[in-house]
Amino acid sequence: MSVVDFPSAPPAPVPPAASPAGTAAARKRRRTTGGKAPYVLVLPCLALLAALLGYPLVRMAVLSFQQLGLRQLFGDLPPENVGFDNYARIFTEPAFYQVVGRTVAFTVVSVGLTVLIGLGVALLMRRVAPSVRIMMIVAMMFVWAMPQLVATQTFRWLVDSDFGVLNWLIDRIPGVDFANHSWFADPVQGWIVITSIVVWAGIPFIAITLNAGLTQVPRELLEAAVIDGASSWQALRRVTMPILKPLMVIVTTLSVIWNFGLFTQVWVVRNGRPEEEYQVLATWAYSLAFKNNDYGLGSAIAIVTVLLMLGAMVFYMRQMFRIGDVD
Amino acid sequence: MVAVAPHSAVRRRRRKARESDTPTVGRSRAGTIAANAAGMLFALVMFFPIYWVVNTAFKPAPEILQFDPTFYPHGFTLDNFSSAFHAPFFQQDLINGVLITVGAVLGALVVGFLAALAIARFRFYGRKAIILVVLSVQMVPLVAVLIPLFLMLQDFRLTNSLLGVTLVYIVLILPYTVWTLRGFVQGVPRELDEAAEIDGASRFQVFWRIILPLTGPGLVATSVYGFIQAWNEFIIINTLNEQANQNLMAWLMQNQTSKGTFWGPLMAGSILTALPVVVFFLIVQRNIATGLTAGAVKG
Repeated sequence: MSVVDFPSAPPAPVPPAASPAGTAAARKRRRTTGGKAPYVLVLPCLALLAALLGYPLVRMAVLSFQQLGLRQLFGDLPPENVGFDNYARIFTEPAFYQVVGRTVAFTVVSVGLTVLIGLGVALLMRRVAPSVRIMMIVAMMFVWAMPQLVATQTFRWLVDSDFGVLNWLIDRIPGVDFANHSWFADPVQGWIVITSIVVWAGIPFIAITLNAGLTQVPRELLEAAVIDGASSWQALRRVTMPILKPLMVIVTTLSVIWNFGLFTQVWVVRNGRPEEEYQVLATWAYSLAFKNNDYGLGSAIAIVTVLLMLGAMVFYMRQMFRIGDVD
Repeated sequence: MVAVAPHSAVRRRRRKARESDTPTVGRSRAGTIAANAAGMLFALVMFFPIYWVVNTAFKPAPEILQFDPTFYPHGFTLDNFSSAFHAPFFQQDLINGVLITVGAVLGALVVGFLAALAIARFRFYGRKAIILVVLSVQMVPLVAVLIPLFLMLQDFRLTNSLLGVTLVYIVLILPYTVWTLRGFVQGVPRELDEAAEIDGASRFQVFWRIILPLTGPGLVATSVYGFIQAWNEFIIINTLNEQANQNLMAWLMQNQTSKGTFWGPLMAGSILTALPVVVFFLIVQRNIATGLTAGAVKG
């Protein structure tokens, strides 16, 4: 490929099909034939999704307007309709705004760090010797493959106050006393640990995906930029990033969705009983529902969470749709 | 296999070309050394936690609870593995996990493949809407609907049963399954279908003789990914079921006793639990990245 016909030089117009009968129309007809077959094929899939995801979603919405606790659950009492009481309780609860703020702040920080470091690593991978690149890939593959739960248990062990290797290492620094230091007594430090777990586990997906994207950047373009006198920073901003942008949107949106729903790491790190300073939306809803047996209130929070998340999904859906449309 | 030799030769030549032709701006020798050092440091930092799990798992108890950690097991032992393996509920939860995961993967594969066929091979009214549904439910975290799911399964007496969780897990992996299989079905050239049809094959024969065999590798990759997801889940199963009906992840989660955490067996248990995931993951990692971002670069 020569330099001139890139980027996105409009493809040579396809000459209209010779025969007026048009192959396009014929293909369309071929595809349409199927009658009821496609509906029969998708039916089981849709039925399962409707039963185990659609119906629960609806029921969750209904629940959020009800009072449903242990008495209703086991006392054969019908759930009591309470209108907007659950929502009123949430929105007048100062803790709610703290939890939302904490969840958003965590999402912004963790996604920002993961994407930036991931991009940096992806660029670094194109710069290092092949043997070093393989080392990086192997390390990342193992991290990527670690189940969240195992990864979190691992970090708990690393930062254990008595026997954790991290305290021991920091304690080696002259003048610093970190023996028996507890990382979770101070929520700021605790959140640093939680964020580290999430970022550590999130880097491989982003770095490897972006690295794959970088291999698609035509070298001719970069060379042309360099010949035209662009610095490597300019080449990165003006040539590489625009090509990488669709991928960046996808990985960022996915990270937002994943990190906004943070649950496992907090839950495991705090032994299934997160203190107030460690609650995020998902853990809060779960605690209220299953520990306090207040299913209505938990549902209301879950609804709010899903609504907040929809904002992030819009971008993702648009991108995925563009991909789906290429078919 | 005649093609192998010239192919690798081409690749070698390409690699050489890539290395010699890279733009030279900012590519000093010192820069390269710094980059390599940074790359190695990165790999080291990323891998260290995993190394530390393995290191701990093979240490005897006194060495684990020692204030100065040892960077390799001085007293190498397999005790932690055997005590994890013989811990209450380990074997039971291992078997449960395998049954649930296999059931969920098979269920999702059958149901998902049918839907993928419809989406990839037919253009019908509502097709776009179905694509939208499949894509969007992929983003509803099941934890968010855990409350109604719990109540619903309770109505059907399916809590604390393997069947209930299996059904939930099918839905957990179904959207991904449909979406990926759709891509694989599309990869089978339509001309093959048509040729077979001209030769008098029925629609079912086309499916059985042409599409199914050619999407075989895709089915394997998809099922492995589903396996990983189902095997890794623990919140849902931990909420729905009691210990005798849980999986290894939930078992790991509950491994901390009131007397504190037994780190050696916990780390050994972590390795045993994560091992299938790591192995399967390494087999299909290429497909995972492609599946998640299919077409994003070239599309």
